[in-house]
Amino acid sequence: MLNLIVQLQMLLAALSVFLPLVPEENRVRAAEIIDAVAKALAASGAIGANLDDLAAKLAAIRAEVEAMAAAGRAVSAEELENAMTRVRSASAAFRAALETAEAGAR
Amino acid sequence: MRHPLRALVLGVALALTPGCASLQLGETRIENPISAARTLDQRAYALLNAYAAVIEEATDIVRDPAATLAFKRALGQAERVATPAAETLQIAVTSYVSARADFEAASGASQPALERAATALTIAAQRLSQAIEAARAPISELEDLVRARRA
Repeated sequence: MLNLIVQLQMLLAALSVFLPLVPEENRVRAAEIIDAVAKALAASGAIGANLDDLAAKLAAIRAEVEAMAAAGRAVSAEELENAMTRVRSASAAFRAALETAEAGAR
Repeated sequence: MRHPLRALVLGVALALTPGCASLQLGETRIENPISAARTLDQRAYALLNAYAAVIEEATDIVRDPAATLAFKRALGQAERVATPAAETLQIAVTSYVSARADFEAASGASQPALERAATALTIAAQRLSQAIEAARAPISELEDLVRARRA
């Protein structure tokens, strides 16, 4: 999906080069349309990036759990501690980011 | 503009927690790690890691300047409920792993010792099962929040 979006963005950039060839009375309107499409593509890219990022994380966790289940392997105490460390670290980063956002809003 | 899209991703991840093995969104397949687990400890492990991944995504939303402060606060409120549930889950699963090790170690011991270990393991398993269920509730609450945002 990201590849397609990047290609469309490149196509849009190429089209914008031809803007000076558009009749002057329509040029502003054409520029607005290209700008709107570019914003939509950027937003789509944000969806794809976030989706891909989280999907990759969840897929990695699933693969690990599947391997555990297939091998009939129990989770070790160290693996559990690492998982909880990840939760605590993520929670601390989240709360710090929230504090920053709150401070920025004051 | 980026904020509701990230919220959508977060909502999808949360919606997957109790549900299907995976979900196809466009060309991206969102996996549900919890459904791959076969045992209680694997389930808890998958849930903890998946929750961490979701919180990491929520952090990106909170750092997004385009996101409204009200929504960030709502996420914060949900996280403050869900993280203690994850901590309780971690305590329960650690106890379960310990009780299971004790039971395995007691396999060659006397009958009373084996029975004590079996009882302790049963109790630990029940508590872990309850902790897994309890951790799902705050996650569902966050899911509802995200869905409301999308609507």
